[in-house]
Amino acid sequence: MTAAGGVAAAVQVVGGVVLAPLLPGLVQHWKARLQGRRGPTPLQPYRELRRLWGKSVIDVEDTTLVYRAAPAVAAAAAFAAVLLVPVAAGAPNLGLGHDLLALAGLLALVRLVVTLAAWDVANGFSLMGASRDLTIAVFVEATLLLSLAVAALFAGTTDLAVVIGATAGSAPWESPALPLAAVAFALVAVAETGRQPIDNPDTHLELTMIHEGPLLEYGGRDLAMLHWVAAARHWLVLVLAAQVFLPHLTSAWGQLALLPALLVAGCAGLALAETLVAKMRILLAPRLLGAGAAIALLGVAAWLAEST
Amino acid sequence: MTGALVLAGVAVIAVGGAIACARVALVAGLYTQALGAALLGGGGLAALVDGDPAGAAFSGQLEPRLGVDPLSGLFLLTLGVVGAPALVFATRYLERSRSSCVVGGLTSVFLLAMALVVCGRDPLTFLAGWELMSVAPAAAILVTRGASRGARHTVFVYIALTHLAGVGTWVAVLLLADAGALDAPGAVETGSGLQAAVAIAAVVGMGTKAGLMPLHTWLPRAHPIAPAHVSALMSGVMIKIAIYGLVRVLAEWAGVVPVWIGVLVVALGALSAVGGVVYALFQHDLKRLLAFHSVENIGIIVLGLGACLLFRARGAEAWAAVALAAALLHTLNHAVFKALLFLGAGAFEKAVGSLELDRLGGLLRRMPVAGGAFLVGAVAIAGLPPLNGFASEWATLQALLHVTVLGRVGDGVVGAVALAVLASTAALALFCFVKVIGLVLLGPPRRDACREAHDAPLAMSGGMVFLAGSCLALGVVPGLLFDSLTRVEPWTTAAGPRVGLELPSGASLPTGGIVVVLAVAAGALLLVRRGRGAAGRAPTWACGQLVEPALGWTSAGFTKPLRLVLETVLRPRREIVVSWRTGVVQRVSYAGAVPHLFDVHLYRPVTRAAITAAAHARRLQSGRLGTYVGYLILLVVVLLALAKWGVVG
Repeated sequence: MTAAGGVAAAVQVVGGVVLAPLLPGLVQHWKARLQGRRGPTPLQPYRELRRLWGKSVIDVEDTTLVYRAAPAVAAAAAFAAVLLVPVAAGAPNLGLGHDLLALAGLLALVRLVVTLAAWDVANGFSLMGASRDLTIAVFVEATLLLSLAVAALFAGTTDLAVVIGATAGSAPWESPALPLAAVAFALVAVAETGRQPIDNPDTHLELTMIHEGPLLEYGGRDLAMLHWVAAARHWLVLVLAAQVFLPHLTSAWGQLALLPALLVAGCAGLALAETLVAKMRILLAPRLLGAGAAIALLGVAAWLAEST
Repeated sequence: MTGALVLAGVAVIAVGGAIACARVALVAGLYTQALGAALLGGGGLAALVDGDPAGAAFSGQLEPRLGVDPLSGLFLLTLGVVGAPALVFATRYLERSRSSCVVGGLTSVFLLAMALVVCGRDPLTFLAGWELMSVAPAAAILVTRGASRGARHTVFVYIALTHLAGVGTWVAVLLLADAGALDAPGAVETGSGLQAAVAIAAVVGMGTKAGLMPLHTWLPRAHPIAPAHVSALMSGVMIKIAIYGLVRVLAEWAGVVPVWIGVLVVALGALSAVGGVVYALFQHDLKRLLAFHSVENIGIIVLGLGACLLFRARGAEAWAAVALAAALLHTLNHAVFKALLFLGAGAFEKAVGSLELDRLGGLLRRMPVAGGAFLVGAVAIAGLPPLNGFASEWATLQALLHVTVLGRVGDGVVGAVALAVLASTAALALFCFVKVIGLVLLGPPRRDACREAHDAPLAMSGGMVFLAGSCLALGVVPGLLFDSLTRVEPWTTAAGPRVGLELPSGASLPTGGIVVVLAVAAGALLLVRRGRGAAGRAPTWACGQLVEPALGWTSAGFTKPLRLVLETVLRPRREIVVSWRTGVVQRVSYAGAVPHLFDVHLYRPVTRAAITAAAHARRLQSGRLGTYVGYLILLVVVLLALAKWGVVG
């Protein structure tokens, strides 16, 4: 394991676990500033987590182990995904490999346990959010896998550490394949982090909640774990955007050095998108994601046309 | 040893079947059959791991020969792994009656017929077993449900479709035997008309038996009305035997098929995968939903098989072996979790009385063992780590991605579209099984029968727990089996068994690592969860709203967003009747349905045309003796004329 690899592993674990809540904090802070408000500091999510950690959990009557274990399993799956996504090419294997299809599977596991908990408590609003989340997830999966597939075509494999190396430099940006995949991945990023125009993370109206819905019956440490899972999804999506779908340097040290700047740029992009675009009608979101999938498919065709 | 185990298994099953026919010894007969199935499974595993064929080799002559090779071994293993728990389940599921004894005997005939197809080494045995395999479950359904007119009509549809499509199977196998391709796979030339005819006939004939769309309509009708253990065997093993036939014809006997056949197979697989799961989402009966999911998973298996054919056509033999291994691994995995789900459905039906999804609920607390096993099966079929459905879907996705990596424009786009379809299918299956688990196992019970349900007896839950354990084992260590599966065809040698999955492109799935991290992290967080204070007990908050059983979510409500998004494709029907009296609403009634497009636009017109044609042909039979004598004279005159012109005789 090289020095760069060791540092990359450290950045991956510390960043994913400890620094992840900073990302939604930054997005909220800039969104407020863009809207002319003072807004919370970027460290607000840490205060939330500390407040929730000190409270007691709720034991809803007539529920099963599914309700009690869901936040723990969701956080475990998100933690596994954090260990899986490398932050630089040549990062060492932390026991989970670097396979992007396994990442999609772990994110689906998070979605499963959270939506099952909604059924366990039989809260109507939780179920409404769960059904919408699952409907949108159908289209997000296809777009996510197609855009990551374009990146995998450059590397010839689905190992993310190799993909980061293969999409580095300026050579992959000469063909239209990677820019098209980047556009599709931007849509996926907005959907996975639950930001407008697909979902509104600030809403307190239960009828408009999508991914916030199943969280309604949780309190205390359970809710803290679920908030951390949302922050971890920001981390995963923005790291993939930075190290695969935005121009990055070829050397591992260069990738590590540029990573904070790219992450901050990603947060700024999300804040700008949320301010400029209003939330769209839920049933039209699949059309937007379907357009994203079509764009990614065009990217695949472009890569095939270039390579033959 | 392989041959000895297989022969012992067959003999024990036959004995068990005979014993089961006597009313006093039904349970003993079923246990004996379970032992025989386990022996068959052991023999199959030995054949698969050994890698050497035992018994006779294939021949095109019409004399009965039997033998076992690694591919047959996999399907015998599937038969054993599914058959043994299903038969143990049946000991408590079947009531003591005359018809149960007949069902017990017919189950042994069913198992023996499936073993005959898989071990048959000549066209005669293969086709005889094929036909017997179709008839046995139909007889079992008629014995248990023969009194109901709907069940008799369903069995008629099943037998009619199977036999119409059976023409394809017979044509394919007999053409291949005639060309001498059964013992010399290089006998059929690539791109010849014979190969195309054989491939199309096999896809139609064996595809119908497997339940590929658009030839699947018998599957959601026949599987729900069979007894639970027969449903488990039909869905778990019988449709896989059809896949066995497809693999033999397309990947072995017909030689290297051209690219267009590979693309056709991939297209049919994709259509089955997404069509099966979309229609499954809108079902209200648990068994019918599970039957549609079988269609979906057959689609996934056929996607792997199609990728294998594309790789062979392009000369990438190593990846062809990987794609075929992915399809075969999914065959075994699907058999395990589908059988588990059908057995669970049988246990719930026995405990509660009905399988209407909107009228179940709360069964996980009242039936913890059966409910827990059903939960494991549902998570496995949704394709999530660390269970077995994820491992085989991962391998299939990798194979489809590599079709695109190979770099031809046409194949590449086909591979990418198939990849997107499989990804959507996985997300749709997740949606469907969240709904199923939620409605069946979680939440408040919606009927008194659910509130008073007791856990299933040991024999029933024991079989289910074994299958759930197999799901977990196959999910954590798929690499051991995957290695043997890549060596099934004589194209390439694999690198050696390991715990996770590793592919030639360098992609790897360390299932062991994933399971360990998930278990340790989840366990640690569960311990930390409570903290210093006690947990606050409270009823469901529901944001201050009233929580009432009448306001509970239904299956139709939960899937409504998807129904609205796919409206143009599905054309759902909705009827709302509001009755008023003096300006006050008295009653609102709602009826909604998602019609099955294939039934409406394909099967009904074809059936109507066939019946009209038959009605017209019936006019030839006027009933008058004079007309028939006239027909005979006409026939003699025509034959004499043909003989005069030298065409006949």
